Amino acid sequence: MAVFMQSLLSGILIGGVYALIGIGLTLIFGVMRVINFAHGDILMVGMYLTYIAFTWLGIDPFVSVLVTFPLMFLFGGFLQKVFINRVLKAVAQNQILLTIGLGLIMSNTVMLIFTSDYKLISTSYSSSTLKVGGGVSLSTPLLVSFLITATITAALYWFLLKTDTGQAIRATAQDREAATLMGINVKRMSIIAFGLGSALAGTAGALIAPTYYIFPQVGSVFTLKAFVITVLGGMGSVVGAMLGGILIGVTESLSAVYISSGWKDVVVFVLFLLVLLFKPSGLMGKSRT
Amino acid sequence: MSNTMLKAAAGFILLALLLAIPKQVESPYALHMMILLFLSISMGQSWNILGGFAGQYSVGHAAYFGVGAYATMMLMQARQVPPWIGVWAGMVLVVAVALAIGSICFRLRGPYFVLASIAVAEILRLSAINLTALTNGAEGILVTELPAFKLGERVLTDFSTKVPFYYIGLSLALLTIGVTYGVQHSKLGYFFQAIREDQDAAHSLGISISLYKNIALVISAVLTSLAGAYYGIYVGFVDPPTVLGLDLSVQIMLICIIGGMGTLWGPVLGALVLVPMSEALRSNLVTDLLVKVGLVNADSKVGVFLKENLAHAHVLLYGILVVLVILFMPDGLMGFVKKLARPRKQEVA
Repeated sequence: MAVFMQSLLSGILIGGVYALIGIGLTLIFGVMRVINFAHGDILMVGMYLTYIAFTWLGIDPFVSVLVTFPLMFLFGGFLQKVFINRVLKAVAQNQILLTIGLGLIMSNTVMLIFTSDYKLISTSYSSSTLKVGGGVSLSTPLLVSFLITATITAALYWFLLKTDTGQAIRATAQDREAATLMGINVKRMSIIAFGLGSALAGTAGALIAPTYYIFPQVGSVFTLKAFVITVLGGMGSVVGAMLGGILIGVTESLSAVYISSGWKDVVVFVLFLLVLLFKPSGLMGKSRT
Repeated sequence: MSNTMLKAAAGFILLALLLAIPKQVESPYALHMMILLFLSISMGQSWNILGGFAGQYSVGHAAYFGVGAYATMMLMQARQVPPWIGVWAGMVLVVAVALAIGSICFRLRGPYFVLASIAVAEILRLSAINLTALTNGAEGILVTELPAFKLGERVLTDFSTKVPFYYIGLSLALLTIGVTYGVQHSKLGYFFQAIREDQDAAHSLGISISLYKNIALVISAVLTSLAGAYYGIYVGFVDPPTVLGLDLSVQIMLICIIGGMGTLWGPVLGALVLVPMSEALRSNLVTDLLVKVGLVNADSKVGVFLKENLAHAHVLLYGILVVLVILFMPDGLMGFVKKLARPRKQEVA
């Protein structure tokens, strides 16, 4: 039972970070109907920013979120304004290809600068744990990152629900043309949405940097995970992405314990295919029109 | 002389030249380049049938490439089955895999199909890593000695040089081009294109969507598996990331997309552009050129850095090219060339 609780709780903790990645992707999809295949690479850029801040400036990874978030916001806004914006009316496949291309450019540029060596951020707390009783102990960095994730998610939720800009973003997601007619600057909202999505992915990268290997190709794993999470939750649904993230975290962690760590990703992909086949609208999504 | 006859004549001359190259060219490196070119043409052309003509963007074609490569290599290593027999087993297996994938993925459309195709390829890659007993896991399969190819008692070749691989590659490239030509000029091709242009309209005209999508997939998958088997025996080594990875799937589709989808010569053009460019980066030709021109000092920090790292970054080129193609020439290089040619024709008329 202790093993079960242990893996369940670690699953939920890592699921929090996954949720952040998923929310970013779902936000971008919701507002622009673009599936961002560069999402994992954006996360990777966030990881490297954290790495730079840590090794060159000595900033703690969790503190560096304060820098990573705004920088990645600008980066995402730039991507939207210069590239994505031009293909908003193109067929879905071309949008996918463009983001694949952008992802390749990001990962290979990073490889040119940092080589493909694995980097590690080793902090004093990297492998420390916190005993919670009942034979269950939790990794401290994962716990901290979960708390930061929860805070950011709550703040984002408030932003989307209560602020004018947030409401404008949601209006754009609901109906682009109607939003335009209501005087909402749709282009501006798209830039903000892509910026926010990238900032969330970058932040997730910063949060997992202390517990993960950092290398240029790390992104593709997370791109795939982000898809699984958002499809599971329902494309475009923020709450769904949160649920999906935690569900995937728990699935991975449980199947690593009860099946084997080598097969845990297979379990996730099989789950993904099942969802695509039997409930393509996801847990929280409205049926596709 | 009519246009078609001119074309046919040009084709024959080109073919004769291609057949003669190994007799005249000694350099193994030149042959290696040609082999890579043939391989890329075959991969791009195979993808073209499903992606370009039927409009189903599979980002999981590494699955078929890898199954073909693994089946041939596994049979050769474990059962000493020669590759020209093993490749048939690979083809049968790949048809089964393709139909399984098709029955799952073709229920989905557009972006959902893309995602499902990636997921299936990833499941195969992870399985190849984990089924160590069958596939030797992450270490991959190494086969250095190929059995001699005999016709009766006569040894046709013992694969000690690159020449036999050159001719196999050339035949494979011609086969894929031939199949594409056949598809393009048959009813099948029209059905594929009808599905690509408007699935619902095609359905309402009585075209069985799932049947023709699966036909396109099987043709494409079998050709891709041949390319995979050819890669396996040429390189002599396969492992999960190189023959089943997402990077390979992306490269396969990029050859076709950069060249021009749904055209006969698009993938050929794509391969002609991509192979030399990425080889130039890989073999440090670009750095050497920069040094020779005098832009970069070979011993300076930048020079050393470029020499060490530019070789690893040839995929960067794929990224830049695909972004440029999507933004500025959505019909690929082929469409761009045609567009350039068109206004001149109008002037003449």
